[in-house]
Amino acid sequence: MLFALHLAALGLYGLSAALALAPFAGVSIPRRWTLGVATLGAVLHGVGVTQLTLVGLGPALSMLALCLMLLQIGSDLLLRAGTVALFTAPLAGGLVGLALLLGLAPGAEPSAGRNLWFILHVTLSVLGLALLALAFISAALYLWQFRELKAKRFGQVFQLFPPLERLDRLNHVALVAGFPALTIGVLLAIGYAVRYAGGMHVDPAQVVWGSFTWGVLGWTVWVRVARRWAGRRAAFASIAGFTAVVLVYVALKLAQPGTERFL
Amino acid sequence: MSIAVVGVNHRTAPLEVRERFAHASHEVPGALTRVLSAGAAGGVLLSTCNRTEFYLAEPRDPVSDAVWELLGERLTGERGAQRYGYMERDRDAVRHLYRVSAGLDSMVLGESQIQGQVREAWEISRGQAGPVLHRLFQSALLVGARVRSETELGKGAASVPSAAVAVASKIFGDLTGRLALILGAGDMAELAATCLVDQGARVTLVANRTYERARAIAERLDARALTLEEAWPHFADTDIALCSTSAPHAVVTWERVAPAIQSRRGRPLCILDLAVPRDVDPAVGQLENVFLYDVDDLQAVAGQAAALRRGEIPSAELIVSDEVERFWTWYGGLAVVPALKAFREQLDDVRAAEFERALRHFKHLHSEDREQLEQFSRLLLNKFLHHPTVALKQAAERGRAYALLDALRELFALESRDGS
Repeated sequence: MLFALHLAALGLYGLSAALALAPFAGVSIPRRWTLGVATLGAVLHGVGVTQLTLVGLGPALSMLALCLMLLQIGSDLLLRAGTVALFTAPLAGGLVGLALLLGLAPGAEPSAGRNLWFILHVTLSVLGLALLALAFISAALYLWQFRELKAKRFGQVFQLFPPLERLDRLNHVALVAGFPALTIGVLLAIGYAVRYAGGMHVDPAQVVWGSFTWGVLGWTVWVRVARRWAGRRAAFASIAGFTAVVLVYVALKLAQPGTERFL
Repeated sequence: MSIAVVGVNHRTAPLEVRERFAHASHEVPGALTRVLSAGAAGGVLLSTCNRTEFYLAEPRDPVSDAVWELLGERLTGERGAQRYGYMERDRDAVRHLYRVSAGLDSMVLGESQIQGQVREAWEISRGQAGPVLHRLFQSALLVGARVRSETELGKGAASVPSAAVAVASKIFGDLTGRLALILGAGDMAELAATCLVDQGARVTLVANRTYERARAIAERLDARALTLEEAWPHFADTDIALCSTSAPHAVVTWERVAPAIQSRRGRPLCILDLAVPRDVDPAVGQLENVFLYDVDDLQAVAGQAAALRRGEIPSAELIVSDEVERFWTWYGGLAVVPALKAFREQLDDVRAAEFERALRHFKHLHSEDREQLEQFSRLLLNKFLHHPTVALKQAAERGRAYALLDALRELFALESRDGS
């Protein structure tokens, strides 16, 4: 059942990506269809995730994919920025596919996966990461649209991408929401370790990456909110931050391979 | 029975002629009264900047002359108004109005403003329109709505002012509350500013070389008037700058506006240069977060939308044809009733006269027998008329009664009797 639900979600995410691409091929798709397919995929995926024990790389990737799809739906509904599906849908599909390949069974410490603190820690941390990814995607779309507008190219990007200010707002909202989510997620991890796991027995790589991600997200929020960066500058900051987080993750993963933990 | 349209539009008359023919709302009833007195059962005058058209129900021949005479009085010189105009009749007149309402006959293909103008014309002429034109204009509005909802004829920004709005919307999204500054007092700037205001933008400043001209436009847009030199610092606050001065060289230069723009802390500024020659030095467009578009750029945006709209013409024309047939079926039904009545009355007169003549030879008959005979003559007439009556009604339902009605009128000389 778990596998089937993930497989169905994978198919619907693929379809969602195809529907997002269709207008660029000249095929007009009603918004309710794109929203409907994404929502159906997220619902099936959500049912699957409730059956997961959130320990190990596979379940974490599945959770990340679900958060991305929920953010895609939210972006479309709240800010009419459904074009983020060009990135979120294939990314979510890829993550679900990877999760299926790696296996959805829990790795080490399966009992932790049933602890509420741990579940909240994973959910909020992954949500923070997904919001950082959404900020990256909106920043990339912003820079793309910015370039088209500056170059006076009135093609499909001009026609189909959301307005600059809306993408900038999406970036702002994603960062401002992502930072507290990740912060609470990290605090819950510390609380869980102290209260239930008998102290901090955490892998150093996890501490390094977690702290680094929190620091990067904090910095991007600081430049946006305190330094009032906006537009292109803020977009570059988001892209640089997310790229650094991914590169550090890959580097740490290469140094310490394995799938039993998120890192 | 017939319907006609007599008038001029942007295809047949230049702007300076159309301007003279345009009727303000308060002039419409008088003009219609004059035209209808020449012989028509109803009329509607549609007068916009692109067309002045009299729609007439049951027009007699002198009506078109009355229209040309009325319009000709607005021209100077000896040239008549007729040389700029056209006249369409019956189905073609109905099709013409439906195409107008759908935006198929507009200067900017598919523009939606015309539908409001058709509605307004109908409402102003309501007292003089008559039932047929009421129905015609009502259906024309439905055709316009149907074309807009079932095709993409109204999609995109197909004119320079609407392209200006589209470009600004791609930068700012919702234009509600955005501040706009107008440089120059040209018609194009005012038109584009009106489009921006329609989208919720607020024109706060109007600057011009001559202060008085700026003040005239500023009053209309509820803005503040400035001279050009006073305008440069305001580039720090405004979101959209519309430039349309008649200066022979660039007036918005890097030196004049760069200090103000650099204090914007990265907020985007959209500059729409509608002037020819251009008002804005292209170097200004190189500034960070400045989006500069001239008329050529906006025409490129409009051209794309226009191309998309042109692709929708066949679908829109199909809807128009469909609705013309629907109207004509209804109208045909109206025409059949009086013609049939006249036909029956004429034959009944013949029957009655012949019956009376026959009775002179049968004076010996009793009154009861006479009544029997008369009843027989009536039944015989009804039998003869049954098939033509049914055929005419069926033809009317199919919208094909006119040819038969014409034949009927011709063969039985019905002209004087049904009044057509």
